Amino acid sequence: MELRKNSGAIKWALILLCFVFLAVFLLLPLFYIVITALRDGISGYINAITDEYALKAVWLTVQATLWAVIINTIFGISAAWLLTKYSFRGKKILSTFIDLPVTVSPIIAGLIYVLTFGRQGVLYDYLDPLGIQIIFAVPGIVLATIFVTFPFISRELIPVLTAQGVDEEEAAALMGAGTFTIFRKVTLPHIKWALLYGVVLCTARAMGEFGAVSVLSGHLRGKTNTLPLYIELLYQGYDFTGAFASSSILVVMAVIVLILRLIIEKKGKKELDNKK
Amino acid sequence: MKRKNIIPGYGLTFGITLTILSLIVVIPLCSLVVFTSRLSLPEFLYTVSRPRVLSGYFVSISTAFIASAVNAVMGFILAWVLVRYDFPGKRFLDGIIELPFALPTAVAGISLTHLTTTNGWVGKFFYDLFGIKIAYTRLGITIALIFIGIPFVVRSVQPVLEKIDIQYEEAAMILGADSRMIFRKVIFPEILPSLISGFTLAFARCIGEYGSVVFIAGNTPYETEIAPLLIMSELQEFDYTAATSIALVMLAIAFVILSVNAVLQSVVSRRISGLA
Amino acid sequence: MSDSINRSDSYVELRNINKHFKDFHATKDANISIKKGKLVALLGPSGSGKTTILRMIAGLEQPDSGEILIDGKVVNNVPGSERGIGFVFQSYALFRYQTVYENIAFGLRVKKVPEKEIKKRVSELLTLISCEGLENRYPSQLSGGQRQRVAFARALAPNPQILLLDEPFAAIDAKVRLELRTWLKEMITKIGITSIFVTHDQDEAIEVADEIIVTNQGRVEQSGTPQELYSRPKTEFVAKFLGNSTVVQNFERFKYFEKQDEDVTAILRPEFVSIYKKDENVQFVRSVEEATVEDIIFRGSNMEIKVKLHGNLISALRSINDPIIEVGEKVNVFIYRLFVISRDKVELIHNLSLKQETVVI
Repeated sequence: MELRKNSGAIKWALILLCFVFLAVFLLLPLFYIVITALRDGISGYINAITDEYALKAVWLTVQATLWAVIINTIFGISAAWLLTKYSFRGKKILSTFIDLPVTVSPIIAGLIYVLTFGRQGVLYDYLDPLGIQIIFAVPGIVLATIFVTFPFISRELIPVLTAQGVDEEEAAALMGAGTFTIFRKVTLPHIKWALLYGVVLCTARAMGEFGAVSVLSGHLRGKTNTLPLYIELLYQGYDFTGAFASSSILVVMAVIVLILRLIIEKKGKKELDNKK
Repeated sequence: MKRKNIIPGYGLTFGITLTILSLIVVIPLCSLVVFTSRLSLPEFLYTVSRPRVLSGYFVSISTAFIASAVNAVMGFILAWVLVRYDFPGKRFLDGIIELPFALPTAVAGISLTHLTTTNGWVGKFFYDLFGIKIAYTRLGITIALIFIGIPFVVRSVQPVLEKIDIQYEEAAMILGADSRMIFRKVIFPEILPSLISGFTLAFARCIGEYGSVVFIAGNTPYETEIAPLLIMSELQEFDYTAATSIALVMLAIAFVILSVNAVLQSVVSRRISGLA
Repeated sequence: MSDSINRSDSYVELRNINKHFKDFHATKDANISIKKGKLVALLGPSGSGKTTILRMIAGLEQPDSGEILIDGKVVNNVPGSERGIGFVFQSYALFRYQTVYENIAFGLRVKKVPEKEIKKRVSELLTLISCEGLENRYPSQLSGGQRQRVAFARALAPNPQILLLDEPFAAIDAKVRLELRTWLKEMITKIGITSIFVTHDQDEAIEVADEIIVTNQGRVEQSGTPQELYSRPKTEFVAKFLGNSTVVQNFERFKYFEKQDEDVTAILRPEFVSIYKKDENVQFVRSVEEATVEDIIFRGSNMEIKVKLHGNLISALRSINDPIIEVGEKVNVFIYRLFVISRDKVELIHNLSLKQETVVI
């Protein structure tokens, strides 16, 4: 490795540049949130995050996140399995559609749901008589959250399944094993870390989604406000301590997500090395 | 043609995948198409050619482009430092790169705004010393978009850089190339496709970004009003026609960006794999 | 074509099988017949369609047309898991997250065999493959040879009627490969199971198989015992593919060979040629020709001598115990026989002097 061992001024300059860049752009905002949240002391902080509306916003966020994770896990596993274990026509189109939601602006994501379920919407005439309200209500928020995190899990699984190939599954199938046996005993052990990582990513993004949810929420305090929307409300009401205190909840979640990611990556790598 | 897959579960996964995909992605997209077909062309053209809308597109595209260009350079340096150098704090650096994915955009938005106003920690410094305002200007928007786009280029270049076989570089060295030439002729061409794809992904994402930008932008018409915000304000006035018109142009822009990337990738991969 | 095989008692049979992968015609009108208890090799260069045939027998691929019969029954619509086959994958496809024991037991578990019997069967097989004591290891903790034997045991565990092996030795070091070949042949003969394996290595096929089916460009070229294929190739491809063959032009210029038809080439193998030093005693003095040694390759157990004769570079083998020959030396060459190819027919032509002298003597 003689070639790659170039220690010198350039190396340390580049490393320093990276640290400064990330410190200014990533760590400073994080740090600032925590400082501002605690500006009015601990009791002020606790008051802010135990506010009735804050707790309701947290609860709604948890609900939407849970739904998104559950639906996207089911979808992610089945789509990844479908795309990697079988050959069929239309595979490319299918995977394009799966990736589409992340390339669409969150605002446009919200818009298309408004166009589908809103008063002028295509499905409004069918759903309204049934008393089903989607937009400006909890279901809309849940749908928007699912949409913006749609490919997160399948995208983590597909590369792992592609690399693993189909030999093991074919061998199991030739011995007469059924779908669930093959999945549980043969496939799942391969993808468990990727799956967990996908779930973590999906959780992180689902908790924090702002744009799409903002379009679909009626901004009803205590009813259709998720945590990010509640933060916006406080901020626009110049309650900065409240806004930053509520933000700190999400900051803590983000840090947990990053730590989990590191742990999962490490475990996954270790296992891979052992199995190779 | 009868088709049989040896691995069971084709019908099951196909069913689940298609059902969820239809509900979450296909039906809402169809309703966008249906709604679009009801638009009249003159009305559409009038809406999207209003000076305020045109300026919105310009602000979104120009700030997104600059931010992505900055990220292309910094992302490449970050990937390089993370792959090629060993130094204390490397794992930490690697870990926090994902922060923009994990931290809710709205939270990042309010924090960056507060930091960069003329009496914020960073903003005051720049205003007092250079007379530069950051928050509520296009510079502020660019800063927020840099934050959002950091992980894209790094995570796209990093794995490719890791995979470059040292033998290429050794071969070049034995043939007498110096390190600058090795970089230019051997390493850079290898990672160029991933750099382009990281750049375009970040670019597409930044054009549609809403949560982090809306706070720092100040939203002055013709100055710092971004296109997603225009959609949002049309929606708040229940003018779905205008909102959809603006959104369609944005979708077209995103489509063009991603297609250009797809074409570039296939050109490059063709050159490498030698297929004419 | 396959006159050596009696159709009525074939155990595995393919009738007019065709298979396409998109535009690629992978199998063209294949007819194959394999008798019960035989160890058969599907031999051909890569891309010749041999693996496709194996995968169709296993039910891993469906033919576009034609019938697959096992034990007299058409199995086209029978799923692979119900065809009574065991399959050893080229990569072995051992379940990486299961122990050796779990791997071998898998097929039995699926069939809901009682745990006690599973235990008995697995330990039986572990003894058979001499891997006792390895049951709690993971595939990653095994050597290449051990992995192959575990894959073999896993395929055999549910007592299949047919064993299919896809390039069973491809992933193993050269040295171990030779041992495993012998081992596998012994095992299969001992168990008496009908077995089909795919290989691109002619030595492997000739050494291990009772019968060889040669495939080329999706077609079955010829099938028969190794001896038959070797001594009586029926197509140009088989003649060229087996043995260390060289194509020669203008063979009629060789002494005592007559031109047959227009536009024919001939194929020569080293064992068809003898090379003698000028001062050596030769049986057919009148029939030898003079040639110049171009190259000598030391092959360990013998020497390969390359000589130039009428514009053709011809190889012959010589024992290392024979007097030494050097490059540039003039030597005597005698050609016993060669395969003449005309319009895709292969004919064995003997040196005419050989006939005359035997007549005289």
